[in-house]
Amino acid sequence: MSDASQPSRRRAWLRGLLAGPLALLTALLSMMAGALWLPEGAAGLDHLVLPVVFFPVLWAAWFLYACLDPRLLRGFAVVAGAALLQLALIALHVMAAEGAGA
Amino acid sequence: MIKLPKQQTQALLTVHGWSGVLLGLLLYAVICTGVAAVFAREIGDWASPLAQPPSARLPEGFDGAFRGLAKQVEPRFHDDILLFPAAGGRWNLLFHTDEKDAAGKPVERGTEFELDPATLRPLARRDGLLDEIADARTSNAVADFLVDLHVRLHLPNPWGLLLTGTLGLMMMVAAVSGLFLHRHLFKEIFTLRRRGGLLTARDVHVVAGTWNLPFAFLLAFTGSFFSFATTVGVPAMAMVAYNGDIEAATAALTAKKLPEDATPATPADLDTLLADAQQRGGGGLAFVQIEHWGRADGRASVQLAAPEGGLIGDIYLYGLKDGGFIREQPFLGHVPSLGNDLVLLMSPLHFGNFAGVWSKSVWFALGFAGAYVTLTGMLLWTRRRGEQRAWRRMNSAVHAVGYGLPLALALAPYAYFLLRGSSWHPLDTQGLLFLAVTVALIVYAAVTDDLARYRRRLLAATGAALAGLPLARLASGGIGWSAAWQQGLASLLAVELALFVAGALCLRFALRRGAANEALPTAGPAVRA
Repeated sequence: MSDASQPSRRRAWLRGLLAGPLALLTALLSMMAGALWLPEGAAGLDHLVLPVVFFPVLWAAWFLYACLDPRLLRGFAVVAGAALLQLALIALHVMAAEGAGA
Repeated sequence: MIKLPKQQTQALLTVHGWSGVLLGLLLYAVICTGVAAVFAREIGDWASPLAQPPSARLPEGFDGAFRGLAKQVEPRFHDDILLFPAAGGRWNLLFHTDEKDAAGKPVERGTEFELDPATLRPLARRDGLLDEIADARTSNAVADFLVDLHVRLHLPNPWGLLLTGTLGLMMMVAAVSGLFLHRHLFKEIFTLRRRGGLLTARDVHVVAGTWNLPFAFLLAFTGSFFSFATTVGVPAMAMVAYNGDIEAATAALTAKKLPEDATPATPADLDTLLADAQQRGGGGLAFVQIEHWGRADGRASVQLAAPEGGLIGDIYLYGLKDGGFIREQPFLGHVPSLGNDLVLLMSPLHFGNFAGVWSKSVWFALGFAGAYVTLTGMLLWTRRRGEQRAWRRMNSAVHAVGYGLPLALALAPYAYFLLRGSSWHPLDTQGLLFLAVTVALIVYAAVTDDLARYRRRLLAATGAALAGLPLARLASGGIGWSAAWQQGLASLLAVELALFVAGALCLRFALRRGAANEALPTAGPAVRA
């Protein structure tokens, strides 16, 4: 194996990590956080149903973005940033719910 | 033309190839079985017909038959009663309740009657847990085998659903990346060069693929939704909004929000109630749920099939105490909502069942084109890299799955027909035959050095297997063609005619001179990116 192939191989693995597990995790978190900020609608269920309906599109969008951004570092920053933002939303909601329960 | 920088084009090309080949074999299996499953109801009716054509309407006298059967089951099973159609026009009437087993785990237990639609007499009775009752249903086994393979590749839940959902996502990615990859998209939609070799094969792949792109996206999207909604979506929503309580989340989505009243009460006439629902909605019965039979808060939810020209059937809610109409009931929630409408749209868009046999035929044709694109895409991809040993092996695997799967699917119902009446479950016999044929064909593909001959032989065998299915049905004691014609079983005769035509087409393709080279070129320039 040549030395020159090492960075390229590492980039391929990193790209796979970004487009695979990280994109999936971000899509999942986007779906879950959607329940917190989407309008409930008259039946009080739109915020629960719409994220589930559009989860496949969310995942495909994050996957394609992760594959297409030519700057890998920026790709990680955007995907991880979005994931952390959604996670923070969910964590705040859970803590607020627990506080109200206590 | 969609222009992208070289680096992004290369990245998309990698994604397109990876998603198309690595998971392509499984995806092809899901698409192939999905194409056949479009006609699952017709296939079920064909394999297990009764003496009269199936009808979505119940005969007069259902109320009396229902009350007689209700007396034969434990009163606790009056809690929740389901009525739904089965193969050949049969109706399954399931009385059941929720309870906990010895370990405190929630289970559902009940008694089910399989009803003759003409006489409303029970053809079979099944008691036990709902899983056991479901296992004991055999009349729809031919269609069930196909559908189960399509929905979860016969893997246990939730893994099968998660896998097919992921395959659906890969199909979406393949569709979107294909849209960007084919630079001369609109020109190529109409380009079919009638020359032998790779260019012709590539043209057919591209034309079929580009015309099929929106449909592929639609099927992949709706299919992924069905796979992930219950396995990932509801648990995830429950985690956020209901502290992980899935039952609470489900109840919030499906609760009818009516007051409880356990006072005993005589239920109203079901014949009148069902007739009123069908008059309001204009469609036949698709599903009926009766809750709290014999109580003052008893109610019936009547779901209708889509009326002629309609996309979705209505659901009506009735009170059982007086048989009065309460309201039109959304599938989700208790008032109309965007979420409910979107969820309801998923079924007709995925199954193509909104305009009867015509829309199903269109869905079948588009699905067939999707299967063709998947197979030719894998063949082009693997043959183009034929100088590498690993890709030559992959090419053999693509042949084994591409041409072997339709043959194994065509042979599986023979096990149902020829072993009908044995103590073996028809899903098991079909599964064993399917598996044995698949293994044999994979071994054959691995050892043969002439894949073109392999392909011709498998096509010929598939043709013979399809054309022989009506004979197998007749040999197993099925109703004859003359009797079927006299009794108006048009669906049965149409399926048999379709099998003969499909068998003849396969044989024609197998015997056509040079057919192998047209579909699978051996040399030529690479597919342009």
